[in-house]
Amino acid sequence: MSALLSIDGITVRFGGLVAVDNFSMDVEEGRIHALIGPNGAGKSTVFNCISRFTTPAAGDVRFAGESLLADPQYAIAKRGVARTFQNIELLQRLTVLENVLVGMSSRVPGYFPLLPGARRRRIEREAVDAADEVLALTGLTGYRDTLAGDLDFGHQKLLDVARALSAKPRLLLLDEPAAGLRNREIAQVDKLLGELTARGMTIVLVEHVMQLVMSVAQKITVLSFGRKIAEGAPAEVRANPEVIEAYLGKRAHA
Amino acid sequence: MSTIIVQAVVSGIVTGCIYALVALSLVIIFKTTDVVNFGGGEFVMVGSFLALFALVYLGVGYALALLLAAVAMFALGVTFDAVTMNRIGGRLYTRQTELVPTIVATIGLSYLLKGIVRVVPYTEEPRRIPPLFNAPPIFVGDVVIQAQDVVIVVATTLIMIGLWAFFRFTMAGRALRAISQNARAACLSGMPVRTLRMVVWGLSAGIAAVAGVLFAPKLLITPDSGTLVMFAFAAAIVGGFTSLPGCVVGGIVLGVTQNLVGVLIAPQAISVTPFFIIMVVLLLRPQGLFGDAIALKKV
Amino acid sequence: MFGSPTLRQLAPLLALVLGALALQQLLPQYFLYVGNLLMMYVILVIGLDLLIGWSGQFAFAHIAFFGIGIYATTILGTRYDLPFLIAMPVAAMLAGAVGFLIAFPATRLRAVYLALATFAFAECAQWVARTWDSVTKGADGLQIPPTSILGYAVGNDQHAFPVVAIILALVLAATLYLQRSRFARSMSAIRESEHVASASGIDVKRVKILSFTLSAIYAGVAGGVYTLFNSFVNPDILGVAQLVLVLTMLVVGGSGSIAGCVLGAVLIGILPEVLRAAPRSMLVWQEFFYGLILVLAIMFMPRGFFGAWQAWRDRARHAADKRDAQASQDTRLRAKASTEASS
Repeated sequence: MSALLSIDGITVRFGGLVAVDNFSMDVEEGRIHALIGPNGAGKSTVFNCISRFTTPAAGDVRFAGESLLADPQYAIAKRGVARTFQNIELLQRLTVLENVLVGMSSRVPGYFPLLPGARRRRIEREAVDAADEVLALTGLTGYRDTLAGDLDFGHQKLLDVARALSAKPRLLLLDEPAAGLRNREIAQVDKLLGELTARGMTIVLVEHVMQLVMSVAQKITVLSFGRKIAEGAPAEVRANPEVIEAYLGKRAHA
Repeated sequence: MSTIIVQAVVSGIVTGCIYALVALSLVIIFKTTDVVNFGGGEFVMVGSFLALFALVYLGVGYALALLLAAVAMFALGVTFDAVTMNRIGGRLYTRQTELVPTIVATIGLSYLLKGIVRVVPYTEEPRRIPPLFNAPPIFVGDVVIQAQDVVIVVATTLIMIGLWAFFRFTMAGRALRAISQNARAACLSGMPVRTLRMVVWGLSAGIAAVAGVLFAPKLLITPDSGTLVMFAFAAAIVGGFTSLPGCVVGGIVLGVTQNLVGVLIAPQAISVTPFFIIMVVLLLRPQGLFGDAIALKKV
Repeated sequence: MFGSPTLRQLAPLLALVLGALALQQLLPQYFLYVGNLLMMYVILVIGLDLLIGWSGQFAFAHIAFFGIGIYATTILGTRYDLPFLIAMPVAAMLAGAVGFLIAFPATRLRAVYLALATFAFAECAQWVARTWDSVTKGADGLQIPPTSILGYAVGNDQHAFPVVAIILALVLAATLYLQRSRFARSMSAIRESEHVASASGIDVKRVKILSFTLSAIYAGVAGGVYTLFNSFVNPDILGVAQLVLVLTMLVVGGSGSIAGCVLGAVLIGILPEVLRAAPRSMLVWQEFFYGLILVLAIMFMPRGFFGAWQAWRDRARHAADKRDAQASQDTRLRAKASTEASS
C-alpha cells in the first residue's frame, strides 16, 4: 500500500537554527499516525510544512503522489488536507455554526451573490446540513448559535477539530487536540478519533498526552531536536531506549 | 555644490532634529504599548501654546516656561493613558484586531486637543514664540546658522542621550524594554506594567512639548500645527518605527529631503514629501532602515 | 440567514424611496439638503465598514476614493458631456480600479503599517487634487453644473432628494445581498483569523483585494451622489477632517452592521447642523465635540450605539429566560410540595 502523505527529507532553518533536519515520514491511508517528541522538537514545524505555513529549505512533501510545495497556502484545503492549531485559533466573533461553514470554504461553490436565488438557497441549505452533521459528530450541536469566543476551553478545542473536519479532508492534521483537556474530555477526543478512522480518514496527530497517543495511534514517529529518532508501533516505540532518553534525559535512562 | 544647497542641507538637519524629537515621542509609545499615537502632533502644538501662555501671562523666563510646558504635558500624557488607554487597554497588546480602538482613541485625543485650543480666544491668530537667544547668526562661509538652530541640535542630542541612558541604565527603562519584548511575560513577572505605561505616555508628551517649544520660534503656531506629526511619522517609518537611533536618522533624512525637494523640485511638493516617503518605504522596505524584521505571528 | 434578503428587510427601502418622494414637496430646502447629506454619508460609512468592520482591514484611504468619485463624475459630465447615469457608474468603477491597484501592495502590510500607508495615500490624493491645475483647477475647485437624469432635471436639493434616496435604497439592497453571501463570511473569517481562513481554503489576499475594491466603489458612488446636490468641489473635501468624520460615524454607530452605519451617519452627520442652530453658533466647538465623542464612544461603547443596544437586548432576553426558568421551577416545586402535603 502506498503512502497518502510522504514527507521526504525536509529541512527547515530559522536563521542559524535548524528546526527540522532532513526529516522523512510516510503516512499510510486510513491510519492514525502520531508524531511525538519533546517540546521544541519541530513537530509543529513539520505540520506547518505540510499545510504550507512554512516552506522547507530542502526536501519535498507529497500528498497522493503530488508535491504540495508548489501550492499556495489556501489551496491545500482544496487538495484534501485540513489542520487544527496548537494555540486554539477560532473565529471568535462568529457563531459555532459559522465557524464550521467557514471550514467548508474549499468545497462549497459560489463566491459572489450573483447566482439566482433558488440555486443559492439550495447550496446554502446543503452547506448548513453538512455543518450540522459535523456538529453532531463532535457533540457541539447544543452550541450551534453560541459565539465561538464564548465557548469553554474544551469545546473550543472540539470546534477547532470540527472546523477542520467540515472540509471533508482526506488527511487531517491535529496539533495537540487534547492539550489542557480534562480526562473526560480526552476520552471524548479518543472516541471521536476512533469514529473518524472508522470512516476511513487519515490522521496525523501531534500530541503530548501519551494516554491518547498510545490508545489511538497505529504508528508513532518520534522527533527530537528536529531529527527522527524512532518510528514504529506504539509498543516498540515505548520500549525504545533512545526515546526514553529523549524524554527523560540521560541519567534517568542510566 | 552651490551655497543654496548647502544651506538647504544645514537647515534640513536642524528641522530634522525636531522631526526626530517628535518621532521619538511616537516611537517610545509604539515600542512599549503597540499604540500609534495620532495625537502626537497635538501634544507638540499644545506644548508650545502652554509655553507661550507661560511666557506671556505668567511672565516667567524662557527656561521656566519650557519646564512648565513639559511638566504639564507629562501630566496630560499620564492622564490620557490612565483614563482612556487604560480602559480600552485591557483588551489589547495581544491581538491584531484590537488595533482599531487604540487608533480611534488617539484620533479622538487629537481632535479633542485641537478643539480645545481652537476655542481659546488667544489662538485665533497665528502666534510666534520669540527665539531662545537673540544672538547674532553664525556664518560658516556663506551658510547662515541661527543661534536657535544650535540650541535645537544640542537639545535633541541631549534628549537622545538621556533616553538612551534611561532605557539602558534605569530599572524603569529596562522594565520598559522587557515589556516591549513580551508584555504578558513582563506582567506575570510582577513588573508594574500599568505604571510604566503611564510613564511612557508622560515622557512622550513631555518630549513633544520640548520639541514644540524649540520649534515654535521657527514657525507660527496655530491650532493646526499638529499636522507636523506626519513628518514625524515619516521619520519614524524611515527609521523602522521601533528604533530610537532610527528616529534621529529618519528625522534628519526627512528634514534634508524636504528642503532639497523645495530647492530642486518645487516648493509646493514639500507638503507631500512625508506621505510619499511613507508609502515608498512601507512598500519597499517595511522594516525601515533600523527596524526589526516584522515578525509573523507564530502558528 | 442566507440566501436573499427577506421582504421584511427590503420593505423599509421601498418606504425610504416613497417617503422621499412625499417629503420632497413638504420639507424646506435646508432640511432637504441635510437629508441628502446624511444619505450620502450612509453610503460612505457602509463602504468604510466593508473594509474595517467586515474584513478587519484598518485602511484610511476611503476619503481619497470619495474624492475620485466626485471629481470624476464632475469632469466626465462637464468635459465629456456624459450623462449622470453613465458618468457616476464610470466614476465609481474608476474609484474601484484605483482601490484594486493600491490593494495589491497594501494587503502585504499588516495592522498599523496598513493604516499609515493608506493614510499617506489619501494625503497624496489630496495633494494631487490641489496641484493638478489642468484637470482639477487646483485649490480653486470645480463648479458642478446642474445635471439631468433621463430628462428629469436635478438642479437643487429638492430635485436631488428622491434621486439620492433611490441610489441609497439600491446601495442598501446590494449590501443586504452581500451580507448574506459566502463572500461576507470569508471577509469575517479573515478579520477574525487569517490563519484559520487560509487553512480553510480561503484565498486571503483575494478577499482583501476584493474588499478594498468594493469599499472604493461604495466611496465612488457616494462621490457621485455628492455632485447631485452640491454646486462646487475643492480639494478640502479630501482632507483628514472628512476622514475623521466618517470614522466617527462608524465608531459611534457601531461597525459591522448596516443599522449601526445608518445610525452613526445620522447622529454624527446632524451634529454640525445642531451646533450651527445653537443660539450662538457653536460651530467652532465642532472639533472638540468630535474628539470628545470619539474618545467617549471608544471607551464606553466600543461597538457603538448599535452594539450597545444589542448587548442590552441580549441581556434583557437572557434575564427574561432566567426568570421564566425560575418561575417554572417554582411552580414545579410548589406542585411537588402540595402533592407531598396532601399525601
